[in-house]
Amino acid sequence: MTEDEIKILLQQADKTAAGAAPVRVNLSAIRRRAGRKNMITLVAPLAAAAVLMVALSISALMFRTTEPTQEQEKIALLETRIKQLQARTDAALGLIQEVLDEERRRSRLDELQAQLASIPDPLEEIREQVDKTAFILVYQADRLYNELNQTDSAVENYNRVIKLFPENRWAKVARQRLSEIENRKI
Amino acid sequence: MAEIIDDEFLVEQFSRGDETAFERIVERYSAEVAALANRLLGWPGEVEDVTQDIFLAAFLGLKKFRCDCSLRTWLFTITINKCRTNRYKRWLRLRRFSQEIDKVSFSSACEEKYVDADEFKHVRRAVAALPAKYREPVVLRYLQELGTDETSRILGISKNTLNVRLSRARKRLREDLAELIES
Repeated sequence: MTEDEIKILLQQADKTAAGAAPVRVNLSAIRRRAGRKNMITLVAPLAAAAVLMVALSISALMFRTTEPTQEQEKIALLETRIKQLQARTDAALGLIQEVLDEERRRSRLDELQAQLASIPDPLEEIREQVDKTAFILVYQADRLYNELNQTDSAVENYNRVIKLFPENRWAKVARQRLSEIENRKI
Repeated sequence: MAEIIDDEFLVEQFSRGDETAFERIVERYSAEVAALANRLLGWPGEVEDVTQDIFLAAFLGLKKFRCDCSLRTWLFTITINKCRTNRYKRWLRLRRFSQEIDKVSFSSACEEKYVDADEFKHVRRAVAALPAKYREPVVLRYLQELGTDETSRILGISKNTLNVRLSRARKRLREDLAELIES
């Protein structure tokens, strides 16, 4: 069966069929429906927006009315917890501060003790100085007597040592020298 | 050509707010549109509601019509879409009561197979039973006798696709009408 044969068959079948009943297009109905459709296209988005707004406001109201007590309780609980934590933190910080101060004090004390330990004993120093002076005086007197034959000056120095440092060992030496000089004179 | 110019003039008049132009469009094309709808819907005879819907869509969309194609082509495109929607709605309605409908249609089909002597009715039923993608090209090309260009434009498909669909539609019709052809 060729394309043309099919076409003819179809056209014959179409002709024998009940044709479309005479159509009366109702223009006033079309205008009315078009107006309604236009209205819907204009109003629908506005209505949807309004419904959305109402829904949002209702949901907002619901959340406001149902949840505040729970929310407030939660907030209060959180606030007390925060306060407790703050108090604990403050206490811990105070303790840390005290420990740090103590350590600082100890280290300062150690430093001072070290410094104190490094300072020589003044009495010993004076003793050393006295000993040194006494020795120098005896040494000078010895030189005056032995090398320069200035016996008077030497005796004077020995006497000075005995007078100034009577307890010193060089005073003892000076006394020996004076007795030796006395013995020689005799 | 004069008709096309006249159509353009009517469209322009309508765009300017003259609704009598639409009345003239309806007068000019309502019969053709109704005939096409009748064929696409399987020759129910009563297509007033669909035609009304088609012209309502045309009324709403005519201001946007840019005269890229002829007014007839544009109206046929609307007709195709409206008929698709109509058939889909009908199919949904049938599916809702599928079991009962199946029984009824099966029994009536069996009965008609032996009782119905009208061969052309058989042909029409075969055309109506084709899937939309095959039925629409068949109706437009063989019954409306539109050219390949216009048909492909109305259906929104290429010429090659149109030819392939027509070929497949013919094959199906040959298969469905084999008994009839043999006798």
